[in-house]
Amino acid sequence: MAAIPSIACLGVLGKNNNPLHISIFPSQPTNTPLRTPLQFSLLLSSTLDIFAARSTANVNSNGGLSGDFGLLHAIDERLACYGFETNTGVRFVAVVDVRGRLVTGERVYGGMGMREGEMKLVFKQMQRAYVRLLQNPFYEPDEHSPPGGKGGRKITSRKFGEEMRRIGENWMPGTIAA
Amino acid sequence: MASAKAARLGEEVWKSRVDKVNAELVTLTYGTMVAQLCKDYESDYLEVNKQLDKMGYNIGLRLIEDYLAKSNTMKRCVNFKDTAEMISKVGFKIFLNITPTITSWTSDNKQFSLIFEENPLADFVELPDDGRAQDELWYSNMFCGVLRGALEMVQMQVEAHFISDVLRGNDTTEMRISLIRYIDDEMPVDDD
Repeated sequence: MAAIPSIACLGVLGKNNNPLHISIFPSQPTNTPLRTPLQFSLLLSSTLDIFAARSTANVNSNGGLSGDFGLLHAIDERLACYGFETNTGVRFVAVVDVRGRLVTGERVYGGMGMREGEMKLVFKQMQRAYVRLLQNPFYEPDEHSPPGGKGGRKITSRKFGEEMRRIGENWMPGTIAA
Repeated sequence: MASAKAARLGEEVWKSRVDKVNAELVTLTYGTMVAQLCKDYESDYLEVNKQLDKMGYNIGLRLIEDYLAKSNTMKRCVNFKDTAEMISKVGFKIFLNITPTITSWTSDNKQFSLIFEENPLADFVELPDDGRAQDELWYSNMFCGVLRGALEMVQMQVEAHFISDVLRGNDTTEMRISLIRYIDDEMPVDDD
């Protein structure tokens, strides 16, 4: 038996720094989330400053934005936040629990932790789900992130929620594009 | 066999004589229009269905001419079954590159169903979650109007409506089409 990383929370943040979607996943061995929904929400908000700081740094150094921000910050010995920002200012955050899943058998990667670029796939899938959401004609982007304004409503799409759940539950370190 | 011949014809026209356009453009254009109609009629979905049907009708009136030109079919369909084959395998094929399945004929051969396994208009769509759209809105209702309009131009009065839609959570998207009558070339009333 070994503990490998799992996703503890997936968040989508709008360009008005408003939460659009939050999915929380249970961690092993207790099979309950590590934090309360409020704490996760605060964690996601805390990444906003890092996003802002990194983009400024990136622009100043002509770094060429790639979207993938990699590790944003490590919160404690278990949780770490990874981020991705699109050019329209929508941010995807994945909070990873480094020991969130228990595995047995031959393919045990226990203790190996996270490799570079490990989260790319998750963000690609989240972005794909978000694009599909935008293509639904009944989804109003302006209601969710009013231009120039503040706030915005959360995403209520059932399909999108299910997709986030699927992404969060299926991800494992070393998963190859699905 | 008429069916295989129709399929071949549809395939050929689709390959050689049709200008193609990006599918997402079509999907998004249609989607935006339906969404806007829902807004304009303040979510009176029955009215939206009616408007979609009307627009479709106007498209059908014009589209049939293009269909006849492209498919080069000068001879009439011998019966309504033949018509159904041509609608599915040539009509839908050349305009949307889909071939809905024809099923559920009534014994008098005047009613059939088209099952849409894929529907380019409805990609990505999720109906509004207001408790009514799922029961009232026929998202692709324009198709009904198109068929009604097109067939009317070739002397067939039909009635078409959807009876199920995957967007509503049904297993299939099914349209029911019934032939009401063949319109004879009517003489003007006062012309002896």
